[in-house]
Amino acid sequence: MLATVLAATLRGLEGRPVRVEVDVAPGLPGFTIVGLADAALRESRERVRGALRNAGYVHPPRRITVNLAPADVPKAGSALDLGIAIAILVGSEQLRPSGRWAMLGELGLGGEVRPVPGLLPMIAALARRGAGRVVVPADALDEARLVPGIEALPAASLGQAVELVRGRRVRGRGPMTRAELIPDEAERRPPTRSEDDAWPDLADVRGQAEARRALEIALAGGHALLMIGAPGSGKTLLARTIPGLLPPLDQAEAQEATVIASVAGEGPLRSLVTRRPFRAPHHTASYAALVGGGPRLAPGEVTRAHHGVLFLDELPEFDRAAREALRQPLEEGRIAIARAGGAVEMPARFQLVAAMNPCPCGWAGDPSGRCTCPPGLPDRYAARISGPFRDRLDIWVGLPRVAPAALLARGDGEASAQVAARVAAVRTHQVTARGRIAGRLSGRALRAACLLDGTAERAAIRLADSAGLTARATERLLRVARTIADLEFAERVAVRHLEEAARYRVPATATSRAG
Amino acid sequence: MLGVGRDGARGEWRAGSGEPGSGTGTVDANGASPVTWPTSTAPSTARARRSVPTSGSLSVDEVDAWAVLVAVDGIGPVTLAALLAALGSGRAVLATAAGPAGPRRLAEAVAGRGGHLDATLGRAIADAAIQAPVLIARVRALGIEVLTIESPDYPGRLRLLDLPPPVLFVRGAVAALDPARSVAIVGTRRATERGRRIAGAIGGAVSTAGAVVVSGLAIGIDGVAHAAAVACGGRTVAVLGSGHQRLYPRAHGHLADEIVAGGGAVISELAPDVGPVPGTFPRRNRVISGLADATVIVEARERSGALITASWTLEQGRECFVVPGPLDAEQSLGCNRLLRLYPGQARAVASVAELLEDLGLAGTTDRLATDRRSLRGGRAVGPDPEAILAGLGAAEVAVARALLPRAATLEELLDATGFAPATILAVLTRLEGQGLVVAALGRYGTSGALAATTPLRRRERPRGGAMAPAGGS
Repeated sequence: MLATVLAATLRGLEGRPVRVEVDVAPGLPGFTIVGLADAALRESRERVRGALRNAGYVHPPRRITVNLAPADVPKAGSALDLGIAIAILVGSEQLRPSGRWAMLGELGLGGEVRPVPGLLPMIAALARRGAGRVVVPADALDEARLVPGIEALPAASLGQAVELVRGRRVRGRGPMTRAELIPDEAERRPPTRSEDDAWPDLADVRGQAEARRALEIALAGGHALLMIGAPGSGKTLLARTIPGLLPPLDQAEAQEATVIASVAGEGPLRSLVTRRPFRAPHHTASYAALVGGGPRLAPGEVTRAHHGVLFLDELPEFDRAAREALRQPLEEGRIAIARAGGAVEMPARFQLVAAMNPCPCGWAGDPSGRCTCPPGLPDRYAARISGPFRDRLDIWVGLPRVAPAALLARGDGEASAQVAARVAAVRTHQVTARGRIAGRLSGRALRAACLLDGTAERAAIRLADSAGLTARATERLLRVARTIADLEFAERVAVRHLEEAARYRVPATATSRAG
Repeated sequence: MLGVGRDGARGEWRAGSGEPGSGTGTVDANGASPVTWPTSTAPSTARARRSVPTSGSLSVDEVDAWAVLVAVDGIGPVTLAALLAALGSGRAVLATAAGPAGPRRLAEAVAGRGGHLDATLGRAIADAAIQAPVLIARVRALGIEVLTIESPDYPGRLRLLDLPPPVLFVRGAVAALDPARSVAIVGTRRATERGRRIAGAIGGAVSTAGAVVVSGLAIGIDGVAHAAAVACGGRTVAVLGSGHQRLYPRAHGHLADEIVAGGGAVISELAPDVGPVPGTFPRRNRVISGLADATVIVEARERSGALITASWTLEQGRECFVVPGPLDAEQSLGCNRLLRLYPGQARAVASVAELLEDLGLAGTTDRLATDRRSLRGGRAVGPDPEAILAGLGAAEVAVARALLPRAATLEELLDATGFAPATILAVLTRLEGQGLVVAALGRYGTSGALAATTPLRRRERPRGGAMAPAGGS
């Protein structure tokens, strides 16, 4: 007979409701899935067959056809396993359902129900469709309950799901599955990510006063930052202090971030993600890993860093195409991915923080003159960062090598907590005063925000002229100056703010200065 | 011999040495080693641009004819001399070459004087003769003046060389090539901060004392020395290792313009379109030392081009000064070895003031302040930092002073001045705008006139001890 269960699939960050229709008909035994299923979903047959058998049910030796509707929406992933299994049980009259049900979860061969990535947006989609209740993997119950307007019922095993569908409340653990009788620590995921990941405190960073100042300005105004310095000068260490310096996400941002974390497979989540993401992909990361895509149109690092910081260490070593692909999200705060399977758009409003060596050997500009690169090579190394990309980096700062003596003598810099407080205060101030952080101001709004008086205007023109700045670079100067002024809560951008901002423009490399 | 390649030092000079067949284009000019120029046939007013019709359709004057000839790949001083001796004048050479059976007639003429002209070279001269107006127009367009060794303005010091460059392509003031006093300052391209500081101080002091600074426009010590002279309002001469159109390094194009604007000159013995190939640089170095009364080597690695200049200096009988360095400093290895190998010839620089004394430049200018002391005793020399800082605000002066002994990071400037980071960064932009400070990857150094001052001893700095010893550099 025919059975129907509601389930959902993922498309980018969006959940799409899917009707699982199963027809169990007489004929040669067979199991067919139709309706644009991907590889993981086609393998669902084997998981479902095993789960049914090992949970004590019968996999009917008849002709089973699974149709996933709507037929033209590509379906991906294993979240439909549970729905298919329940529909087969209903279709083969092993189970009489009490009303309409929605099901989400991956099945193990022993019948256990496992969490799936993207549970959150899928449940949200079911709630929008009007489904009243949904059976979810017990491990992911906290995540499922983040969605209002729908009742999420936990099932740790196929057996528990069956009991729920029969209309019986499962108390406690319910019937054990065979797999659960064998303790398997690897199966039990640790309780999500630890909330107190260790990150270094700014007080641990020695020296580098200029880079610390630049980092504070960058975080306060959401400006893209590039740190250039010799190996061991502290670029990576400074970047790793960032999570401790960023203010928490607000409610709306947290909801977006939680959806992304869910889809990216960081789950099962215990609660709303409130910490700003800090993503630091390695420079060998592929194009798809960085911008998103792949067969399942999974979110890339740019999306996972939405509302947070994307840190690219060794920037010139990143694949050029991947680097250039960052230009759209840097400009528009979103990334469009078009693939054979269709196009999706994902949010990607991240703050870029990058680091690089000044030259391949890393020693260009060092007072010891120990750089072994041929003259001109440092310039060519820097030129790997294309002009348009340079234009999107608001703050450039050089990190000189810290002498061993300074390493020992200093280290009494401000602690992260103090800097974080200022960063949060300035961000709040900027959003209150102008509706957005300075790093996202441009054009007329930017000029209006700066409130330059005559003297400051002349200074801005002089500073822009002396460096031969492009229009874009002049905007960068104004944006950074705006944040510097906000750090002292000055209403107008004054000459001294512009002068400090001018320090953070694209540097002449050590070799191209006079001499 | 320091490992400095001197092969062919007295032989044939040729652009792009190592060309195939470069050994066959040589002329045996009767075995006369010091070239005798056929002065009788040269026009008496070489720089007067007369267009005298020649036997062919060519109408170039004698100076330009020489320029065309030296632009031919394979013609050096010896070949040129032989051609001139055989045919009487440069114009005659070109006219003959461009005429019927030119290459053969050239070869016959040279053979008639006991020499030999390679057939390939003959054809190259014929091509050049036909293309002559193009080259001459290009030289004019670049604002280049051509000096031949026959010109009265040809620098007297170069005439004294064994094989003086027969032609100089000069951009800027010809008078700067033959000043009363001139000092060459050269060194490694991979200079240390300390080396740059010393090169600036010497360049500033020498320039302030009224001498012309000669160098090679290279990255590193050379560039700093030129920049110091320019900043002090002095004249300086840059000798290129390439043609004017192929100025190398390109990063110093702006510096070259400043040198010309400041009354100095940028010169090359190579035709404008000759590129920077390794062989041209040792050859250029003999012109650097040859234009100067004395050469100062500031920093040189074990195998540095500056050592080639040093050995030319000694061979030309000019004075050679060497800034000694720490034994473990790679950039001073060559300098220290020079001092060891040439006792009594290569002289150590003990202080900038004493160098000026040794150069005979001390006391030749009233800009010397007598109440300041230089690096190590002696009189203060060079431009007075106080005079440079006179018009600046208090914060600017404090930051600039902190940078005088050596380059510093923001960290070190915080310690030295006690100002807030934001203040110092703004002040640095102001000083940079004045051309007094230059930034490199988080480290700030002096620039312009400030880089041409001689650093004071630490205990004598106005804010004594303000620079924390912890601030390493």
